[in-house]
Amino acid sequence: MQQVNKTRFYLFGLLFIILIAAFLFDLFIGSANIPLPEIVKILFTHESSRPEWISIINDFRLPKVITAILAGAALSVSGLQMQTVFRNPLAGPDVLGITAGASLGVAVVVLGISSFFSFDTFMLFGNWAIVIAACIGSGLILLLIFAVSLRVRDIITILILGIMFGSATIAIVSILQYFSPAPTLKAFVIWTMGSLGGVTKSQLWILLPCVILGLFTAVLSSKILNALLLGENYAKSLGVNIKTSRFLIFFSTSLLAGSVTAFCGPIGFIGIAVPHVTRMIFKTSHHIYLIWGSILIGSVTMLASDILSLLPGKENALPINSVTALLGIPIVIWIIIKNKKIV
Amino acid sequence: MDTGKKIIEIHNLNIGYPSKTIFSGINLSAYQGELIALIGINGAGKSTLLRTLARLQKESSGKVTIEGNNIHQYSIKTFAQRVSFVSTEPVYVSNLNVKELVALGRFPHTNWLGKLDEKDSAAVERAIHKTNIENLAEKNINQISDGERQRAMIARTIAQDTDIIILDEPTAFLDLPNRYETVSLLKALSKNENKTVIFSTHDLNIAIRQADKIWLIQKDKIIEGAPEDLVLNNCFTHIFESSKISFDIEKGDFTIPASMNRSVKLTGDGAEYLWTVKALERLGYLVSDSNNENITVRITRENNRLNWVIEKENCKFAVNSIYELSAILGRR
Repeated sequence: MQQVNKTRFYLFGLLFIILIAAFLFDLFIGSANIPLPEIVKILFTHESSRPEWISIINDFRLPKVITAILAGAALSVSGLQMQTVFRNPLAGPDVLGITAGASLGVAVVVLGISSFFSFDTFMLFGNWAIVIAACIGSGLILLLIFAVSLRVRDIITILILGIMFGSATIAIVSILQYFSPAPTLKAFVIWTMGSLGGVTKSQLWILLPCVILGLFTAVLSSKILNALLLGENYAKSLGVNIKTSRFLIFFSTSLLAGSVTAFCGPIGFIGIAVPHVTRMIFKTSHHIYLIWGSILIGSVTMLASDILSLLPGKENALPINSVTALLGIPIVIWIIIKNKKIV
Repeated sequence: MDTGKKIIEIHNLNIGYPSKTIFSGINLSAYQGELIALIGINGAGKSTLLRTLARLQKESSGKVTIEGNNIHQYSIKTFAQRVSFVSTEPVYVSNLNVKELVALGRFPHTNWLGKLDEKDSAAVERAIHKTNIENLAEKNINQISDGERQRAMIARTIAQDTDIIILDEPTAFLDLPNRYETVSLLKALSKNENKTVIFSTHDLNIAIRQADKIWLIQKDKIIEGAPEDLVLNNCFTHIFESSKISFDIEKGDFTIPASMNRSVKLTGDGAEYLWTVKALERLGYLVSDSNNENITVRITRENNRLNWVIEKENCKFAVNSIYELSAILGRR
C-alpha cells in the first residue's frame, strides 16, 4: 500500500513537471520569436527588453494557454464524472450530446436574444448570458440522458440516444441560423469552429471561477463518486444521499462542460479519452486520484493539442477541434475494442 | 430458550409501487443473530420486500421498525450503519480491486474524503479475513469468479459493520459448492458475529438445512417459522400453483412426480434397492410389494456383481445396470 502511494506521488510530480514544461513551450511557440528567458522574465516581472513582447505574452498567449489548461481540466473531469454516473466507459460531454446542448444555449443567446438588443447592450451582459445559457443547455441534455438511462441500461442504446439528442439540438441550431442576420451568423459560425485563442481576458475572468467551482465540486463529491461506481442502489445502501449527490455531480458536470463550450466552442474527445488514460496510468478507481490525475493529464493534453495545432505553419493554426479529435479517436477505438461488454 | 433481542419488526406492511401493490398485510419479525431465508416463487415480491427493508423502495403503507424505531426515522448515514445490502445486480468496475471494493463498505464511517483511518483499515482487513479472500485482495474484481465476487460483496457488508445484512438471491449465479459456501458464510456471520442476516433464495434445500427461520411467501400471505415447523405444517405444499410440482415432506424438497400409471413389484435391499426405486419412479412405475403385479424386478448380488432380474409378460431378462433396466421397462 505504501509502495502504491509512493508511485502515485511520483506520478503526480512527473505530470506536474510535464505540465509546467508544456505551459512554457506553448507560451514560447508562435509567430513572434520570443526567447524563453524573456518569457519567464515577463511572467514574473512584467518587464522585457522589447515592450511589444509583454503585450504578446500577457494579452494573447497567456490567456490562450490558461484557457487551454482550464478547458483540458474541465472537459476531462466532466467526462470522468459522467463515465462514473452512467457507469458507461463511452460517456463524455461530446458523445452524449452535452456539448450540443451547450451549443444550443449559445445559439439561443447569440442568434436569438441578441437580435433584440443593440450590440453594446448585449456586450455588457453577453459573456455571462452565454455561459449561463450554455450551462443550462448542457444541464438539460444531461438530465434528459439521465432520465433515459434510468430505464435503459444498455450502453449502445444510451449512446445512440445521446447522438439523437445531439442531432436534434444541432437541427434546432440550424433553424436558428437560418433566420439569423449575417453578422450574428458569422460570429456564431466562428464560435462553432472552436478556439482557445478567441477567449478574451474578460471572458477568462468568467471562465476561471466557473471551472474552479466545477472542479471544487467534483473534488467534494469524490467519495460519492467512488460509491456510485457500484450503481445507485449500492451507493444508497452505503449512505449516499442520491438526490444531493446527483445535484452536485450534474451541477459540476454542466458547469465544466457548459462554461468551456461557451467560450471555446465544442471541443471533442478530450472528455471521453483523458479519464481512460488517467485510469490506465494510475491503475485505480479512487476518484480523488482520478480527478487530480484527469486535471493534470487533461491540461497537458490540451496544451499539447494547442502546440500541435501551431506546428504546421507559424502563421495559421489548425482548428483545435481537429487536433483533439485526431488525438482522442484512437483512444476511444481502443476503449471500444478493449471493452468486451460492448463488442 | 433465549430468544435474543427483537431487531426488525414488520407491521401490516404493504409493498409495491404507487400504481400497483405487490403484497399486502405483511407481519414478520427478525431477532438478533438469526439467519432468515426468504422463499417464494418468481414475481412473488421477494426483491420488493427486501428492497423495502433496505429502504431502497418506499412502502405503500404499514411500517418497518428497527429496534422499535421506524426505519425512516434514521438518517441516511445512521441507517447505512445499521443495514447493509447486496443486490442481484452484478458489479463490474474496471480498475477496482477486491480490497477497494471491501473498503467502500466503510463509506458511512469515514469523513467527506473517504479517507480510511486505522480503525477503518483494520475493519477492512478483518472483513477480508472473515470471508477468506486474502489471496484475492489485490485482484481486479473483473478478474475473479462469480463465487469469489459474491464473497467480496459479503466482505463489503462486514466492513460496513451493520447488525443487519440483507441479500437478494446471493446464490443465484453460483454453482452448487459455491452456494453452500456462501450460505455457510452467512450462517457463520449470524452465529459468530450475532448479525441478523436475511437472504432470498430459490434453494429450498439449503434454506431448510441452514436457516434459523424461513419467511415463506404463499399465495396470499407471508408466514414465518423454523423450517422444520413449516415442513410439518405442510406449508411448502401450496406455494406453487402448478399441480405438477409437489413437496416431498420426507425429503424436504420439491419433486416432479411422474404419472404413475404402472406398477412393479421390487425385491432387494440396501442402496441398490433405494436407487432402483428412484429409477422406477422416474420411469413412471409405482413400486409395491404385492404379488399381484404383472412385472417383477428382483435385485440379486452374485460374486460382488449386481443383477436385476426382470419378469415381464412371461419373459425373463437379466441385466447388470439400472440403465439397461430402464431400457427394458421404459418401453411402452
